[in-house]
Amino acid sequence: MPSPTETPEHQGDRLPAVLRLVGPASAFYVAFFLAPILILFALSFWSMRGFNLAPGFTLLNYLQGMTSSLYRAVLLRTVLVGFITACLVVPAAYLYSYLMRFVFAHRAQLLLDLVLASMFSGYLVRIYAWRTILGKDGILNSVLLEVHFIDKPLRFLIFSNWAVIITLVGLLIPLALLPIYSSMSNVSKDHLEVARDLGSSGFHLHRTILIPMTLPGLRMAFAFAFLLSVGDFVVPALVGGTQGLMIGNVIADQFRGIGSNWPLGAALAVLVMAAVLAIWYAITRISRGVLER
Amino acid sequence: MTGPRTRAHGLLAWGFAVAVLLYLFVPVAVTVLFSFTTSPRLSLPVTGLTLDWYEKAFSNPLFTDALANSLILAFLSAVVAGVLGASFAFGVARLRRRTRNILLTAGVLPAIVPALVLGISLALFFQEAGLSQGLRNAAIGQALVGLPFVILTMYARLETFDFSTLEAARDLGASPWRAFRDITFPLVRPSLLGAALLAMALSLDDFVVTWFNVGSRQTLPVLIWGLLRRGIDPSINALASTVLLSLVTLVVLAKLLNRKKL
Repeated sequence: MPSPTETPEHQGDRLPAVLRLVGPASAFYVAFFLAPILILFALSFWSMRGFNLAPGFTLLNYLQGMTSSLYRAVLLRTVLVGFITACLVVPAAYLYSYLMRFVFAHRAQLLLDLVLASMFSGYLVRIYAWRTILGKDGILNSVLLEVHFIDKPLRFLIFSNWAVIITLVGLLIPLALLPIYSSMSNVSKDHLEVARDLGSSGFHLHRTILIPMTLPGLRMAFAFAFLLSVGDFVVPALVGGTQGLMIGNVIADQFRGIGSNWPLGAALAVLVMAAVLAIWYAITRISRGVLER
Repeated sequence: MTGPRTRAHGLLAWGFAVAVLLYLFVPVAVTVLFSFTTSPRLSLPVTGLTLDWYEKAFSNPLFTDALANSLILAFLSAVVAGVLGASFAFGVARLRRRTRNILLTAGVLPAIVPALVLGISLALFFQEAGLSQGLRNAAIGQALVGLPFVILTMYARLETFDFSTLEAARDLGASPWRAFRDITFPLVRPSLLGAALLAMALSLDDFVVTWFNVGSRQTLPVLIWGLLRRGIDPSINALASTVLLSLVTLVVLAKLLNRKKL
């Protein structure tokens, strides 16, 4: 956390000035980011007494999250959906970054701006739009019917895990692109030229040169995509239907629904984040091992 | 680097880039298109064009309230995030590499945490602090959402900022405030405005953090969410396009301001 006391390498008399500059935002983060997250963590060990929160220490919320067949099923599916989403988003963002950096270098700024612009094209708008596209009477179905490719609407397009994944991929590609492109900016054209001169090409070039050199960005992008998709509840609520329900919906209901149970919601949030970070850590270890082989 | 093989690769490469861009922009285009079509059913082919959905959207009794609240929140959160984030970036830019990287990473963290977690933990915090839900809480939440982006934008500008001009002014006897007002501020003003506009855009677009903290008040995304839950209503497209237009305006302005190099 950006706490002023964590700046041991201060530069003599400049420190007070720096403190004055960094202090306000740090205080804001401590009050409205760090403290709330710590309280959320603490709350996951509380319980509900009637409609009131009862402070204390119990592991029952976690137990319920892991043993209740409903929650466990939803948790597993959420992690799987997030994992698949990240596995689609990261290669797409990697390839796009590669094209920006090395193939269409003269158009890089435009290609980057376009993707970033889509990030600001409305979160709800984009999710809702996918419902319009994938719906039973939606655009995709009406086009396919029109050209007689199908004779009745495809119903599996909407309200499924795949609808959730398709939508999430579109939301997350711009975010994943940023760390990948930024670590690819550190690789110069010369690196690739030398590798090509030494006879490396195609897939081999990526595996031996480019992927290892951009690994920090790839890892961060994977973490982004995985965490943010697992934590989303709007996408499953709008395009997932009952089949695509995710843990975010369950958590959101615990906080804004009827008969809400905040401690249980908090425990589920901690559980899913811990699961994602554990899997992410395992993958980064494995990827390092594979690349060093 | 030339030859038939490279040409084929080039086509494939273009194809992929175009496919990604279509994937990102077709949904947006669809929303805008259907905000102008006569058929209440959201399917092709398009039969006619109309502005009725805009009329219907704007005459929704909740619309004015939602728009006003959205604008207030955008302004408040942009000011808070702009001032805090810019001063943070200024401080960080003067630190040594290691400390700087730690602080920058910490400053960007809220962007990596799912909005759901930010939203519920803030709601919980406010409840425990005895601050009832409403626009104030939502403004704080939105400032938190905007801060990482302001910090990154401002820091990127300050990386190329020549601090020696500032030191020269100080050596010549200018007070810190005067040096800031006459030298630093004019130099970074475009970037600062750009960063604040970005924070405004994020605020206008924020649904999740707002929804958990705004209580029973309306904002444009909260209104859209409410309509979405009630079923298909083409005036949603008009509302969404309105939000979209304001986002595009803000982001284009931000981009133009950030490009202006001095």
